[in-house]
Amino acid sequence: MGAVGEAIRRRRSDLRAGLTGRLLDIGLYVLIAAFLVLLASKVGEHGPSYLLQILFFALANGAIYALIALGYTMVYGIIELINFAHGDVFAFGAFASASLIPLFGLSEGQVWGPFTIFQLLGVFLATALICAALNVSIERIAYKPLRHAPRLAPLITAIGVSFFLEGVMFLWKGPSSVHYPDVLPDVHVELFGARLGVKEMTVYITSVVLVVALSLFINRSRLGKAMRATAQDRDAAQLMGIDIDRTIAATFFIGAVLAGAGGAMYGLSYNTAVFDLGFSAGLVAFTAAVFGGIGNIYGAAIGGLVLGLIRTFWDGYFDSAWSDVVIFGILILVLVFRPTGILGMRVPEK
Amino acid sequence: MLAGAFLAAACTSGGGTGGGDKGEIIIASNFPTSGADRASGRGPEAGVAYAVQLNPTVKGFKITHKPYDDAVNGVHDPQKGAQNFTDMVNNAKILGVVGPFNSNVARATIPVANKANLVMISPSNTNECLTQDFAYCDPKPAALRDPSQPNNYFRIAAPDTVQGPAMADFAYDTLKITKIAIWSDNETFGKGVADNFGKRFTSKGGTIVVRSDFDTKTTSDFKPFLQRAKDGGAQGIYAGATSATKGCIPRAQSKGIIDVPYMGPDGIGDSQCIKDAGDQANDKMYFTNAAAEAAQDPANKDLIDNFKKAFTQKEDLGAYTFPGYDCAKILLDAIGRAIDAAGGNLPTRKQVLEAVGKTDKLKLSTGTYSFDKNGDPTSATMAFYQLKGTDWAFVKQFSVGQ
Repeated sequence: MGAVGEAIRRRRSDLRAGLTGRLLDIGLYVLIAAFLVLLASKVGEHGPSYLLQILFFALANGAIYALIALGYTMVYGIIELINFAHGDVFAFGAFASASLIPLFGLSEGQVWGPFTIFQLLGVFLATALICAALNVSIERIAYKPLRHAPRLAPLITAIGVSFFLEGVMFLWKGPSSVHYPDVLPDVHVELFGARLGVKEMTVYITSVVLVVALSLFINRSRLGKAMRATAQDRDAAQLMGIDIDRTIAATFFIGAVLAGAGGAMYGLSYNTAVFDLGFSAGLVAFTAAVFGGIGNIYGAAIGGLVLGLIRTFWDGYFDSAWSDVVIFGILILVLVFRPTGILGMRVPEK
Repeated sequence: MLAGAFLAAACTSGGGTGGGDKGEIIIASNFPTSGADRASGRGPEAGVAYAVQLNPTVKGFKITHKPYDDAVNGVHDPQKGAQNFTDMVNNAKILGVVGPFNSNVARATIPVANKANLVMISPSNTNECLTQDFAYCDPKPAALRDPSQPNNYFRIAAPDTVQGPAMADFAYDTLKITKIAIWSDNETFGKGVADNFGKRFTSKGGTIVVRSDFDTKTTSDFKPFLQRAKDGGAQGIYAGATSATKGCIPRAQSKGIIDVPYMGPDGIGDSQCIKDAGDQANDKMYFTNAAAEAAQDPANKDLIDNFKKAFTQKEDLGAYTFPGYDCAKILLDAIGRAIDAAGGNLPTRKQVLEAVGKTDKLKLSTGTYSFDKNGDPTSATMAFYQLKGTDWAFVKQFSVGQ
């Protein structure tokens, strides 16, 4: 089996080195060059401050995708499950935080006092904990009993959980869009003619803090080490005395904290949420995870950021009707040339 | 039960005046009048009943009103509509129908009535594919009609295709906007109104600074679009969308980016849009509506006051009550001319149908009506609404050629 696989792999790399592969390569470079020329002409037309403005929006958009993508990739890394319900946990975060905002004494267009930031942090924390509790319960009820079942079984369960969550949110808030209260102050900094608003700043700061914390946790803490060990070889890790159940539950917990924070930031940035938001957001984030190399947390972060950049730049310079086509077109190209994503499917350890 | 009660009332008032000794002519109406849809359908039904009440006889014939309900479990149902029309076709005394209320019911009932030359006039159908042939229409208008028979379908509401041009006129002439940003939800209705808006706006001399179509199922981020609008110097934004396709979410996101009039079709004229716009929901928002408001014309004051005395239920007076009344008046006028054409005898359905088609600048409560060969009104009145405080308010109405 291994020998056959090896032979196939060699045959493939031969092919890529061959004429067809070279033509494909040239085609790709021509495409990229053409796109860059087109983009450059558009950028020239709109001027530098517009470019900077779009970049501000794009980074915020990408940071939110990245936070969702991290949860996908962590779960995949540890139990090789595409957790399709993850996008809905993100949407749940948006819904839950929308309901928590008045509970923490915040309201749309309110005046900011010295303690308002703590109220908002309270909303973030509570949202993250609610989502974490939800995700850990999902794992316990829907995935854990299937841990030794064939790979397809938990995948189907994940899709089922996704629909279940959408149903719950549908019953909760109905079929229409829910307005998310705009609590952030309408303040901004002028930078070279572009406006860096509080909304974007909030997203940047929160996501950088979360990603750095995640990276430290995975690389420095005991539980993080256990997670890396479990991802690498679950049986061996168990033999070494690692509590697998606890480690997997912790992975779901952390993934949901990121998704919940992402949901709250999505609401704060775009001021809207809808019950099936998780489906499309999840699809893009999953794409981002694959794009960066699924199972690789740095890959997920980069993938999310890149996808956010592509989408917002496309929306900012071209017709939005094509942005999904462009995103998924680029995904296909990347996967054709790098089947394991930009950074490859590394286990964090290596 | 309620419908039966007022039918009885209509009959007594009809019989009371006498003179109806040449026979009986029935005007049918077909609207969703039970359950949740009663709020939409009861208004025009009451309008028809009122018209018949005021005109109990025409040239010696007694006129009565027979109402049909096309709602099943409170929702308008094309199948039920088709059944109703089959029943009407089999009742020789019925010479014309006012209705239906919904475009999908019209789609199912036009073929039934067309075969029997039974004329129908709708106060509220706006789907353009019922009368006009566009590449995207499915079914095509021709598929609803027997080619050997004359057109039997008329309406007084402006088709959806007029909403875009109407708002373009309003934006350019009333709001004095010359640079516009347009987006759409990329669906048949939304993209259609956005395209039509753009065409009229540029033909008037305006400039489109941005045009973008969104898949609103996969994105809620309109900031890059709004930034482009600002960058291009847009003085207004037109949304070819409905509240179900995030029609007013860009209004909320425009905070801090661009603050200019925000316009759209009737699909954004609801409370969902106001909620979605958040704290940007203010008097810079406008939408068009195909139903003219009879109350805006002072000449209608007595008519409306008397109606309110005769019809006292909550649902009786709605946006489509007087459009329904006007449809019945068009039918009564046509029946009168058809009786003349038949030499004072009972006219055939075909004669009534031809008479409706020849309606010539008939001045009624919501406008002055003539029909083109498709059965569309040659000039339809379009009403404009603006957000005032927490609700939409009527601004003005004018007639818009297609």
